[in-house]
Amino acid sequence: MAVASALLCAALATAGCGLGPGADVGDVRLTVTREYGAVPVLETAVEAKESDTVMRVLEGAAEISTRYGGGFVHSIEGVAEGQRGGDPYDWFFYVDGVESQVGAAESEVAGGERVWWDYRNWAATNHVPAVVGSWPAPFSDGIEGERYPVVVECDGGGGACGEVRAALAREGVKVANGEPEKALRILVGPWEQVRDDPAARAIEAGPAESGVFADLLSTSPRASTYPGHSRGLAEADELVALDEAGEPAESLGSDAGLIAATSRYGGLPVWIVTGGTAAAVGEAARSLDAEHLRDHYAVAIDHGKTVPLPLEAP
Amino acid sequence: MKSPFAYRPRPRPLQLASPGAAVAYLGAIVVVAFLFSNPLVLLAAGAAAVVAGLLAGARRAVWFAVKMGFALALLIVVVNALVVDRGATVVARLGEWPLLGRVDVTFEALVAGLSSGLRAAVTMVAAAVYSACVDPDRVLRSLRPLARRSALTATLVSRLVPVAAADAGRLRDASRLRGPGAAPVGKAPLARRLLAGSLDRAVDVAATLELRGYSLDAPRARNRRSRSRYDRRFYAVATFVLAAAIAVKALGADDFQAYPTVEIGLAPETLALSALVALSGLAPLRRKTNRRSPVADGTKTSLCGPESSRRQGEREVARV
Repeated sequence: MAVASALLCAALATAGCGLGPGADVGDVRLTVTREYGAVPVLETAVEAKESDTVMRVLEGAAEISTRYGGGFVHSIEGVAEGQRGGDPYDWFFYVDGVESQVGAAESEVAGGERVWWDYRNWAATNHVPAVVGSWPAPFSDGIEGERYPVVVECDGGGGACGEVRAALAREGVKVANGEPEKALRILVGPWEQVRDDPAARAIEAGPAESGVFADLLSTSPRASTYPGHSRGLAEADELVALDEAGEPAESLGSDAGLIAATSRYGGLPVWIVTGGTAAAVGEAARSLDAEHLRDHYAVAIDHGKTVPLPLEAP
Repeated sequence: MKSPFAYRPRPRPLQLASPGAAVAYLGAIVVVAFLFSNPLVLLAAGAAAVVAGLLAGARRAVWFAVKMGFALALLIVVVNALVVDRGATVVARLGEWPLLGRVDVTFEALVAGLSSGLRAAVTMVAAAVYSACVDPDRVLRSLRPLARRSALTATLVSRLVPVAAADAGRLRDASRLRGPGAAPVGKAPLARRLLAGSLDRAVDVAATLELRGYSLDAPRARNRRSRSRYDRRFYAVATFVLAAAIAVKALGADDFQAYPTVEIGLAPETLALSALVALSGLAPLRRKTNRRSPVADGTKTSLCGPESSRRQGEREVARV
């Protein structure tokens, strides 16, 4: 009997059973912001346990209230979902820069993740599939505990592709060769070439489609400056920053670069490092670090200056 | 043996009250249980239903309902704990389960399940008290002006189902009495015989109803029943409890939250409502009186106390 009990206990322990929340599994970086990351609310590291979820991590570090049976965050630190100026505001969260497919109460953490909660206006879209603000995630630690090969797709990016590879290497990310089937992709190149990728082209359909608050508009034709470009004439694409309502707010010109993340049909995130000109792409590639990207949904790099996207609505 | 939930006429206020008053009173307790999630209020509603049943003499019904309600509440707590893994305080980790995935039992899910279970238990006890204390015939009679055919159908069903059950018992006894050497009777032949007997009886009942003029328009009520003297009490208690519950709810005093951490509000309004709801269980209390009460023949009697009360109750039962 004693042997059977011991065996049962051992089996249960092996299966992850036990009393209490379980052992420590490592730290989870928790960031709480408002207005698309513009207003910091909380930044802390939480020691996660075996049974922890995104909701439990948040509950342990901040004052929150929930709705719908504890599955939906109603307020954090007194800031509650609701309407402001006629626009809907809510709390959204990202784990390693990727929008979760499940609720916070079901999203498990295993330690090492970066969880970002942001309170934002979702009049333009309530679906932003991926953000750049958790760099070097998801390339460094994968998504939901699963690591994926990282591929840099150089679409006429020239030297900028090398800059991107170097940035990844600085974070300890090994870039895969070839074209693995399921990979985290970074598209690098001028927009007129990058846009051939269906995931990237979603940006032209607006934030509701891509989650990216930027647009690249064609201007007058001029001679192509990109080596290997098939057309005799190319159109210099001008980067336009959109505001929270998804409306064009400021034209940054064709020399401004863009770093954004999106995904297609719920697939793996695709990062885009692009711009209207080769110089713009290079400038964007050189800005691929935590200093420029931290807590931003996407950024435009305009003559060395980081412009977080979306722009604040007037 | 009669079901513990079967109606038994007793000379108690709840049984003597008109069905509308009894339903309003017990319904108010159930409404409170559905309006509030605070376990304190739910316990008060449960206590009210239990006390009302005991005061109405439905001890067996209350006891059975409490047992069944407890079992159901336990089931709800267990299912909620296994299915819902929300809540900040993990009590136990049960690993990966088929269909359910990772199962973490949280204190919050247990408390949320307890709240839902208590609500179900309160409803069961109130329903049991209703079943044991409110005359179904009077209920159907009061519904007759509203839905004559439905009332008649319900009356027939409530009469014929026990008759069919008794038939089944007799048939089983008869099959057993054929002795150990006889071939066993299967369920299908027994059911066929029971169905045939029920159809025969249905034809007889239909003929009897026809002969008694049930196919004609309903006759006007010959003698309208006078209201019971207990009606006002039950209507008043039901109104008061409902009004207080709605007012407290409107004030936002249902301060119970299970997730992400358990918070059970003990605001003065909540405590006052709980006390009021619990006290409402005393509504079926019989008032002991020492008054000399007149008897039917106009003479006065010196009977008082329980005996007097019993006789008075019997008279009311007869009047009803």
